[in-house]
Amino acid sequence: MATPSHQLSPQSNAFSPRAFAVQNGRSSNSFRGCSRITDYDIIGKLGEGTFGEVHRARSKKMGTVVALKKILMHNEKDGFPITALREIKLLKLLSHPNILKLEEMAVEHHTKSTDKRKRAIMYMVTPYMDHDLSGLLENPSVKFTEPQIKCYMLQLLEGLRYLHENKILHRDMKAANLLINNKGILQIADFGLARHYDDPPPVAGHGGGDATRDYTTLVVTRWYRPPELLLHLRKYTTAIDLWGVGCVFGEMLIGRPILAGDSDPNQLKIIFELVGTPTEETMPGWRSLPGAEGMNFPPRPSSLWQRFREYGSGAISLLGELLKLDWRKRVNAIDALEHPYFKTPPLPAIAGDLPTFEDSHELDRRKFRSQKAAPPPAPKGGTVGMGPTGGWGEPSTNGTGYSHGDGYGGYRHHNSGRYPPHGGHRNGVPPPPPQDDRRPAWRRDDRPDPRGLPPRPPPVDYHDAGRGDRPDGYRSRSRELDRGPPPPRSRGGVPNVDTYIPSYGADSGRRDDRRRRDDRDDRRHVGDRDRHSTRSRSRSPARERDRDRIREREPIDRERDRDRVRDRDIYRR
Amino acid sequence: MAHLSNPLATAEQLYQKTSDNSLPIEIQDGIRFYTARLTQAAGLLLRLGQDITAQANVLLFRYWLVDGFMNHEFSDVSASIIYLTAKISASPRSLRSITNVYAYLLSPSSPLNSKPESLKTAKPPNPESYYLSETRYITFRNRLLHIEGQILNALGFNTHVALPHPLAITYLQTLDVFSSSIRKGLGKEVAKRTIEYLNTALLSPQMLYLTHQPASLATAAIYLAAKDSGIKLPDVEWWEVFDCEREELGFLAVGMGSLEGIVRREVERWGEKGVISRSDVREELGRMGVGNGNKNGIRDSKEGEDEEAEMARMLDEKIPETS
Repeated sequence: MATPSHQLSPQSNAFSPRAFAVQNGRSSNSFRGCSRITDYDIIGKLGEGTFGEVHRARSKKMGTVVALKKILMHNEKDGFPITALREIKLLKLLSHPNILKLEEMAVEHHTKSTDKRKRAIMYMVTPYMDHDLSGLLENPSVKFTEPQIKCYMLQLLEGLRYLHENKILHRDMKAANLLINNKGILQIADFGLARHYDDPPPVAGHGGGDATRDYTTLVVTRWYRPPELLLHLRKYTTAIDLWGVGCVFGEMLIGRPILAGDSDPNQLKIIFELVGTPTEETMPGWRSLPGAEGMNFPPRPSSLWQRFREYGSGAISLLGELLKLDWRKRVNAIDALEHPYFKTPPLPAIAGDLPTFEDSHELDRRKFRSQKAAPPPAPKGGTVGMGPTGGWGEPSTNGTGYSHGDGYGGYRHHNSGRYPPHGGHRNGVPPPPPQDDRRPAWRRDDRPDPRGLPPRPPPVDYHDAGRGDRPDGYRSRSRELDRGPPPPRSRGGVPNVDTYIPSYGADSGRRDDRRRRDDRDDRRHVGDRDRHSTRSRSRSPARERDRDRIREREPIDRERDRDRVRDRDIYRR
Repeated sequence: MAHLSNPLATAEQLYQKTSDNSLPIEIQDGIRFYTARLTQAAGLLLRLGQDITAQANVLLFRYWLVDGFMNHEFSDVSASIIYLTAKISASPRSLRSITNVYAYLLSPSSPLNSKPESLKTAKPPNPESYYLSETRYITFRNRLLHIEGQILNALGFNTHVALPHPLAITYLQTLDVFSSSIRKGLGKEVAKRTIEYLNTALLSPQMLYLTHQPASLATAAIYLAAKDSGIKLPDVEWWEVFDCEREELGFLAVGMGSLEGIVRREVERWGEKGVISRSDVREELGRMGVGNGNKNGIRDSKEGEDEEAEMARMLDEKIPETS
C-alpha cells in the first residue's frame, strides 16, 4: 500500500491529535512558511532573463551552495503566476536523484518603508549545479568519452523513467535543461512546460502506449520537437520526451545539436533527411495528422547509419530506437535503459569517476554580449525574432573573425568576467574554419551557414509557451505570422486571414497585462532563443519583445471578452 | 508516494495555536467551522469539483496554523484560498466569479443565513443586496491577491493536498462492498455515506485532515458508514490492511462524529449569523470579557487595504443609499 511507513506502526496511545502529531509529524517540515532570503549569502549572479535572475548563494543554515531562481512579480493581474505555481507544485512532489530538487522557496521582503506595499520577491531554491549539458558541449575543451556519454544517458533515462512512471510529461527535453554537476550527476530541470499525463504510464516493451486525450502541441523547443508534434498530433504520449532524449544523445555524440531546424517546416525536412521520410510502415497514420495535409516529400531512406557511422552500431541502434518516427513504437525509458548499448564495452562510467570541468554558466557570455548588443534584424519572413540567417551567419563586426553581433547569437562564447582567458576555451576564440574542415560532408549540406557554424537556436515560437489550447483560430493566425508568408495549406478551416492589427493606443495596457501574466512563458521563448531556458536568460532587446507582444495579441478588444479569453487561455495546457 | 500523503501539523503548531492566549479555543472552533462552511458553499456556487473545495478547506486550516486568525478577514481568506486552489487545478475560476459569489454569500440574501427548513419558503433574494460595484470589486480583488501571497508564503508553496476520497472508494472495492453478493444498492449507499463522513470531517474544527493521513481518514469514514448502513464487513481487524491502527481508528471515529455537538454549541453562540467576521469575534470577546480586542494577536490588521482604497470603498458604499 502506498502509505508512508511511519504509519504502519504508530506506537498506540495516540489518542490525542497532539500525541499523534508527535509521532507522525514530519518535524519542522510540515507546513512551514518560506525561508527568508537573508538565510542565504548571495555569492554571485549566474544568469538573467526576462523572467528573473538566477543567483548562486550559500545557505547559512546548511552551508550548501544553491541556485536561487527569482520569480519576477510584476503587477500580476491574476496573482501569483500560474505557470510558476504549477512548476513549484510539481517539483515539490518529485523526488529522484536525477530530477533537480526544489529545496524550498525563499522570500525577500522590501525593507524600505516606501516599498512596503510592493509584493515580495520569491525565489526558487535548488541545489547548485555546475553546468548545463548544452553549455558543456559548447566548451571546445570538453570532449565526452563514450563511457561518459553512457553514464549521462543512463541518468537521463532513469530520471525520465521516474517522471513518466509518475505520469508527468516534461515537454521541454533539451540539452540546456539537463544540469550536470562536478560529481557527474545529471539532473533534469525546468518543469515550466511539464504537465500531468492523463493516460496510463508506459510499460516495458510497449513503447509510449496510446493517449486518449488531447494535449496542446505547442510544446518542446523546436530542435528537440518530435515529428508527431510538428505534424500536430494532439493525442501524444510520453514518447515525445524520448525523441528529445534521442536528440540529446546525438548531440552528445557529435558535440552539437543534430536537428537544428530554422523553422517548423524546415525542422520536419531535416528530421526526414536524417531518419527517412515517413511511410505507412515507419509512421502509420501520419497522413491523417492535421499538419501532414498536403505534405509531400520525395521518398528518402534513413541516413542515420551513414551519419553516425563512427560511433558504432550500438549507439546507432539506440539512436534509431529513440528517433523512431512512429511514436507508438518509439522506445520508452524503461526499455531504453535495457538497451545493449549500455551493456557492451566500453561500459558506462561511474558518475563519481567522471572528469570535472570548469563551471559553464551563461552570465559571463551574456555580459560580453550585452556590451555590444545590437537589436536583431527585423524578421523578414523568418521565424520570430530571427534574422534570415540566424545569429551565426552575421558577418564579422568585432574583428575577432566572427561576431556575436546580434546580441544573442554569441551564446557559444563564454567571455568570462570571472575566469581569465585560458587557452581559448570558451572565450570566444575557437575559430570556426578548422572545425568546418572536420565536419563530415553531410553536415555541410544542411547548414544554412557556409562557415558551418550552427544557426542560432530556434526560438520556441511564442505560442509554444504552453499557454494553452487556444481556439484554433488564434494559434493558426499566430503560426502564420511566425512563418511570414502564410503556409500553402489552410489549417483547420480557419481562414487564412491575418487579423493582426497593431494598436499601441488604448489597448496597450491590456497587452502589458498579458505580458506580465505570461511572464514565465515569455521568458521561455526568449530564453529558448538563447537555447538555455533555465540558465541563460538573455535579455532580449526590448524591441523584439514588443514585436512578440504584438504578434501575440488577439484582436479582441472588448472588455467583456477579455476575461473570458483569459480564462480560456492561460489555464489550459 | 508523496502524492498520497500529506504534511501533518506538528505538535508545536497544534499546541501553540490552541493554547496560545490569542483566542479562546471555542472561538477558534467557531471561526474554523463557519469559514470552512463558507468555502464549501462558495465551492458549490462556483461549480467547483468537491475535490477542489476540499483541498481549499484543508489549505485554509493549514494556513491558520501558520498565520494568525485575525490577520485578515475570514471570508477574504476563504475566497483567496479557493481562488488559489482552483487556479492550480484543472478548473480555475476567475476573480470576478469568486468575488461575486462571496458578495452573495456575505449579503443579507445569503442562503447561509437561513435555517435549512426555511430555505424553501424564503422569498427570492434581493439582487441589490449583493451587487458588487466596480470599485468594490477592485478593492476586494486586491485584497484577495494580497492574501494569496500571504498564504503561499505561509504554506511555503506547499499547495499539494492528498484527499482520502478516492482512497476510500478503492478501499470499499477491496472490501468487496460493491459485489453482487451484497444487497443491490447497499454498496452505493455505503460509499455515499463514506464520502459524506469525509466531507463533514472537512468542516470539523478538530482539523482531522491536518493530523491524520488520508488512508486513516478513509478507513474511519468507511468504518462509520458501514456501521450506519448495517453492511457486514470482515470480522477481522480489516483496518490494519489499510495502515490504520485500532487506536487511530477509534480516535477518528469519535472525532468524525463530534462535529454535530460543536456546531450546535456554536450556532447557539452566533445565532442567526450565517458567516462570522472579525468584528463579530471581537464583539463576542468583549461579551466574554476576554481582552479588549487589542490584545496580542487579536489586533485587526488592515495592512491589506490602503487608505485610498478604503476611501473608495466608503464612497462606493454610499451610492446605493442615495440612488
